[in-house]
Amino acid sequence: MNADSPSVVGRIAAVSAALAVLLVSAGLLALLFGSTDTVTDAFFSLFRGSGKADPMAETILWQIRFPRVLLAVLVGAALSLGGLVFQALLRNPLAEPYILGVSGGSAVGAIFGILLGFSRFPGVSLTAFAGSMATLALVLLLSSGQSVLKKDSLLLAGVMVNAFCSAVITFLISLTQDARLHNIIYWLMGDLGQSGMDQVGLLAAMLIPCFILFFALSHPMNLLLMGKEMAQTMGVNIRVVTLVLLVATSFMVSATVANCGLLGFVGLVMPHLLRLLVGPDHRVLVPACAIGGGAFMVLCDLLARVLPRQGEMPVGVITAMIGAPLFIYLLKRSGSDANRG
Amino acid sequence: MVEGDFRGPVKMKINPAKWPALRPGRFFTIRALAVAFVLALVCPPAAAVTGTVVDQLGRKVVLSEHPERIVALAPSITEIVFALNAENRLVGVTRFSDYPEAAQRLPKVGSYVHLDLEKIVSLGPDLCIAVKDGNPISVIRRLEALGIPVYAVDPRDIDAVLDTILEIGRVLDAKPRAAALAADLRRRIKQVRSKAAAAPHKPKVFFQIGITPIVSVGTETFIHELIGLAGGVNLAAGSTPYPRFSREQVLAMAPEIFIITSMARGEVFAQVKAEWMQWPSMPAAKSGRILLVDSNLFDRASPRLVDGLEELARIIHPDIFGDPS
Amino acid sequence: MQTVVDIEGLSHFYGPFQALRELSLSVPKGCFFIVIGPNGSGKTTLLKNLAGIETPAAGAVRVLGRLLEEYTRKELARHLALVPQLPSEDFPFRVRDIVLMGRSPHLGVLGLDREADRKLARQAMAFTGVEPFAGRRLDQLSGGERQRVFIARAICQEPEILLLDEPTAALDLAHQVRIMDLMERLKKDRGVTVVMVSHDVNLAAMYADQLLLMREGQTVSLGPPTEVLTYEILEKTYGCPLLVDESPLGGVPRVTLVPSRYMDPDKGG
Repeated sequence: MNADSPSVVGRIAAVSAALAVLLVSAGLLALLFGSTDTVTDAFFSLFRGSGKADPMAETILWQIRFPRVLLAVLVGAALSLGGLVFQALLRNPLAEPYILGVSGGSAVGAIFGILLGFSRFPGVSLTAFAGSMATLALVLLLSSGQSVLKKDSLLLAGVMVNAFCSAVITFLISLTQDARLHNIIYWLMGDLGQSGMDQVGLLAAMLIPCFILFFALSHPMNLLLMGKEMAQTMGVNIRVVTLVLLVATSFMVSATVANCGLLGFVGLVMPHLLRLLVGPDHRVLVPACAIGGGAFMVLCDLLARVLPRQGEMPVGVITAMIGAPLFIYLLKRSGSDANRG
Repeated sequence: MVEGDFRGPVKMKINPAKWPALRPGRFFTIRALAVAFVLALVCPPAAAVTGTVVDQLGRKVVLSEHPERIVALAPSITEIVFALNAENRLVGVTRFSDYPEAAQRLPKVGSYVHLDLEKIVSLGPDLCIAVKDGNPISVIRRLEALGIPVYAVDPRDIDAVLDTILEIGRVLDAKPRAAALAADLRRRIKQVRSKAAAAPHKPKVFFQIGITPIVSVGTETFIHELIGLAGGVNLAAGSTPYPRFSREQVLAMAPEIFIITSMARGEVFAQVKAEWMQWPSMPAAKSGRILLVDSNLFDRASPRLVDGLEELARIIHPDIFGDPS
Repeated sequence: MQTVVDIEGLSHFYGPFQALRELSLSVPKGCFFIVIGPNGSGKTTLLKNLAGIETPAAGAVRVLGRLLEEYTRKELARHLALVPQLPSEDFPFRVRDIVLMGRSPHLGVLGLDREADRKLARQAMAFTGVEPFAGRRLDQLSGGERQRVFIARAICQEPEILLLDEPTAALDLAHQVRIMDLMERLKKDRGVTVVMVSHDVNLAAMYADQLLLMREGQTVSLGPPTEVLTYEILEKTYGCPLLVDESPLGGVPRVTLVPSRYMDPDKGG
């Protein structure tokens, strides 16, 4: 081994530290700024030593913005990791966390919940979660006729289930005329502002074990990229690893979507973005996606809250408008590097 | 306490019979002040007086007797607050609160289906008034968890709207104005109803609220009630609140009066009217009775519903109520 | 003589098609064992069953005396390594990382390597001559260079048995010989048993200790090249006229294809 190739642990630590700095900065900005100036003013007057504690600013800061920032971190991490794992599992760069039916199933479940008059928590989030777990089971069932190891059968089953669910969703929307239509649309667009600390705490408890699991399986994920057969000959128990990754990712993404609706784009682009920056080793990519994805989401949500004059924009719009050009720029730059190097 | 009339520095509603010290006479001012002093010791200042009330959804809400900083969580609530002359205490409204004009200058707290929690909290309200159908319950709960009282109303039909006006008047400590307003609205409704009831023929009305697809209104809507009160027959009556029709179905129903309301005005209406005029077999087309109305008069649970009723009456029975403007 | 692989009554089906019919054979330790035969004879199926990536319908495979089923994947990977026919081009890692991955069966959860592992990887890269491109990616290499990278990776697994699936099929002449020489050195220097599937009869003849000629899932002949590569056996197996003589290099049999213009029209061809 060349002396100048740094050890894996060193790279994991360096990348994680750099991204963590980014995350903390983003978090601080997101706590300071928002749709009102109360917190910003209070902070700066405290800074100058002229202000005293403002209970309203504290309320806004800790009861409204803080849960929102935490949620953004969790959601960004979960969606980015979901995309990363599915891209490795399916060996397909177009894979994203919703590809195996999660988006269709959770949307159908959520819409049923909204139409039945449930409130967002716990009613609609439970029906959304149930919907996505049901579609996961359906996808596994559909693709089990062939060997579950065959990646294309999973992908095809997922695409078909999503398409079917899309039709159901369109049908249900066409039936709805009243204010519930608003709720449905907002749910589909994705919204980080609906959760309080309770929901965020529960989500964290569900997600963090998944993050740890993916980190533990990051080396087999590297081997998976070589193909199922080759990974087997290098000691990976394909059946178990595939199933565990599949179920854990679907669970993680379902729990996320049940909380905040369908936020698109992040899960597809963040893994590619980070791969361009830190390389293809999943042992580095898993923490990078978790921390970097979280930071990205916090920043996008901040912009979504601060940019528009009236109300807020859907976060999904910001993630796409920032993520896509950034990705293209990095792609071009790495392309020219490769040509030179 | 009964409203008495005596001259004194403090306007309190006291029954002089019960309070001998307050009978007119010598040293009245000193006596009145003494009573006021005693009462002030016993009753804490108005701002801190809180009571528990039960709102229209049966929820117990703890709020002050005279709320000073009110946030209206729907455009209809905004209109009612203005109608009760309590707008000086209104600190925040939702985005589409466009009536009256002064409301447009008030701070906005998001739209009524997508409220901006942070904005609401930053306005420091001591009361938020919510509508059952529309405001998401999760936001209401979070507001309450933050210690902000939320009073919910449920104006399902015209009578409930009048009740809502009285309720809001009670909650805002504007009962006399509310009672007066409600009484006036009731009078106008009664007038329309009795005059229209005398009409020999009740025309068939098709009230179109959606252009593509064609959507009308069912029985469970304000508009249906208003059409009935104004002496017409709502062709789309039925259990579906917003039923859809194909063009054929509409023609088959042979409406005599066509009323269109939608967000888009002007050219869109002219186009839609021209499309319906192409069917001379339809009585409304033959007589040319295809009209456009302002949707805000018909879908907001506010006093302007009665304005809408009167306009409908003019459209449906011009001979009785005068030509529509 | 010690055998490293014992196969008994191995049968394998692809749907209704039987690829292996009750095949039985043994591979001695340190042997250069080459499997040849026409297409569809079941050579690759045999290899895959040996590697444990296909499950047979019937029969037993023993590796180093133990049944395949008794091994965990990781255990098996420490004894047996597979080099695929066409190593993927789009595997995104650099050569040095790929070779190091060969150490996986010996490493813990995160696959964290130690200095000893890196040393082994360096040795494997030196052995296969891929050191000059240690920092390059696979798509920047030629077919033969890629093949050598994957062989280096397989060597890192420190297997007692190395399986190769038609390793020379897509290679130029120089690389064909180079790979075969590498295998011979592995066998001689490290005592590795090499089991290879090949389509090139002559190359097999020059290197094999034992040749297995297969047809339609069964053994036609098993033994040293001089025994297996006779005119009668070959013609029957491959179903075409062949010229078999002796190569001037080492006296091993040499098989030459016969174009139809050389055939006597009377004898049929």
